[in-house]
Amino acid sequence: MSKEMSDALILLLGGFVVVFAMLILLILIVTVYGRVVSSVQKSVAEKKAKEQAAIQSEEKTVGTVADVSASAEEISEIGDGEISGEIIAVIAAAVDAVYGEKPHRVKSVRRSNHRSAWGRAGIVENTRPF
Amino acid sequence: MEILNQLWSMISGLINDSGLGSLQWQNYVMMCVSFVLIYLAIKKQYEPLLLLPIAFGMLLVNIFPGIMGMPETILETKQEILSQNLDPATFSTVQVGDQIYYEHIQYGGLFYYLYQGVKLGIYPPLIFLGIGAMTDFGPLIANPKSFILGAAAQIGIFLTFICATALGIFTPQEAGSIAIIGGADGPTAIFVTTKLAPQLLGPIAVAAYSYMALVPIIQPPIMRLLTTKKERSVVMGQLRSVSKLEKILFPIIVVTVVALLLPDAAPLVGMLMLGNLFKESGVVDRINKTAQNELMNIVTIFLGVTVGATATGTNFLTIQTGGIILLGLFAFSLATASGVLFGKIMYWLTKGKVNPLIGSAGVSAVPMAARISQKVGQEENPGNFLLMHAMGPNVAGVIGSAVAAGVLLSVIPH
Repeated sequence: MSKEMSDALILLLGGFVVVFAMLILLILIVTVYGRVVSSVQKSVAEKKAKEQAAIQSEEKTVGTVADVSASAEEISEIGDGEISGEIIAVIAAAVDAVYGEKPHRVKSVRRSNHRSAWGRAGIVENTRPF
Repeated sequence: MEILNQLWSMISGLINDSGLGSLQWQNYVMMCVSFVLIYLAIKKQYEPLLLLPIAFGMLLVNIFPGIMGMPETILETKQEILSQNLDPATFSTVQVGDQIYYEHIQYGGLFYYLYQGVKLGIYPPLIFLGIGAMTDFGPLIANPKSFILGAAAQIGIFLTFICATALGIFTPQEAGSIAIIGGADGPTAIFVTTKLAPQLLGPIAVAAYSYMALVPIIQPPIMRLLTTKKERSVVMGQLRSVSKLEKILFPIIVVTVVALLLPDAAPLVGMLMLGNLFKESGVVDRINKTAQNELMNIVTIFLGVTVGATATGTNFLTIQTGGIILLGLFAFSLATASGVLFGKIMYWLTKGKVNPLIGSAGVSAVPMAARISQKVGQEENPGNFLLMHAMGPNVAGVIGSAVAAGVLLSVIPH
C-alpha cells in the first residue's frame, strides 16, 4: 500500500473517531445540562407557585398591585420570554382596570404578529397621539 | 487614403483590445455554462440566492478576465514612462545594476479585492454568523441523539477522501477539498478549499452548491432504496419543549467544547454559535436582525460573484473538474446513505420509535434536507409530520460538517 493511501486510511479512521467522539460528547453534555436546567426550573416554578398560593390565601382582595406582579412573574415564565415583566404588568393592570371588582386572572400573554384589519384599526384608534 | 488607414488601425486596435480578440474558446464555453446556471437559478429556482451571483461572476470573468486581475508593479524605463505621456516625477524609482527603473503600479480588478474575503477565509464564517442567527437548535436540544445522525452523514466525507486519493490524480489537499462537498455545506466547502486547494475553488463551489440545489432529486431515491415501507411510516413522538435558558446555554457550551478540542473548527463553529446567541439571548435584536439579513445578504453577494469569478475557462474546463463533479455526487450520495443507515440502526435500537428518514437530514443543506425527510415520510403516511424531528439531525449536520472540516484542516498539511 502506498504512503498516500495509508495516510488516507489513517485520516478516514481518525476522522470517524474524532467526529463521533465530539458529537457523542455534545450529546452527553446537552442531555445532562438539559436535565439539570429542567429540574432547577421546575423546582423554582414550584417554589414560586407555593409562594403565590400563600399570598393568595392571605389576601382575598382581587386586583391589587401584589396580584398583578405575582401574575407577571408567573406568566413571564410560561411565555416565550420575549415579553418583559413590565409589559405584562401593564397588560394585567389594564385588564384589572376593565374588569374592576369582578374576579379575574391573566393566564397568558402572547405577542400577535398577524392582527386582523379590525385589530390593527383598534390599535391605531387607541394609540393615536392626542 | 491616410485617413482610411488611421481609421482601420483604430478599429483593429479596438477589436484587439475587446474580448473578441483576446478570449479563448474555453471562455465562450464557460459563458454558455453561466447562461445555463442563470437559467436554473431564475427559472428553476435552484439555490437562486447563491447560484445567480455565482453564475454572473462566472459570466463576467470569462468576458473580462481582468476583473480578477492581480495588482502588479511594472518596472519601466524613463523613455517608456514618457512615451505614455506620464510624468516620471510621480513614480518611485528603483536601481537595478546601472539602470534606474520607475515603478508603474497597476491596480487589480474589482473582483480581485472582493475575493480577498474568500481567500483569507472571512466570508464563510460571516455566512455562518447569519446561519446561526436564523437557526433554532431547539429540536436538537430536545433530542440530543440527533447529533449521532449529524455525525453519521459526515462518513461520506471521509470515504470520498479515500476514493479521491485512490484515483491518483488528486493530491491529499485536493482530495480533502473535494471530500468536503459531502458535507453539503457551501460555506464549509469554500472555507476548507481556500485553505487546502485554492486552485480548485471554482469547480468545488459550483459542485457543492449544485448538489445542495439538487437535494430534492438526489436524496429521495436513496432514502426509498434503503428503507422499508414500515420504517418510513413510523410516527415519532412529540419533542419536549425547550426552555429559553437551555437555548441560551447551548451555543456557549458547544463553542467551548468544540473550539477547545478542535481549534481549526473554531472560526466556523464560533461564528455559528455567536449568531445563535444573538438570536436566543433576545437582548441584541438589532444585531441579530443585521446578522441574519443585511450582513448575510451583502456577504452572500460578495461570496457568490467572487467564487463564480474563479471559474475561468482554463481553470474550469479540465479533467479534474469532471472528477470533482463525479466525486462530489458520490460524496453527497454516500453522506445521505450513511445518515439513513444510522437512522435504521436507531430504529432498531429504539424498537421502532425513530423514523430512519430523518437520518438523511444529517447532511447540512438546511432546511432543504429536513423538508425532504418530511416529504418522503408523508408519501407513506400523509398524517406524519417529521419536519421538526428532521431539523435536529439537520442542524447537527451543520455542526458535524464544521467539525469534519476542522479534522481535515488539522490533519492534512497545508
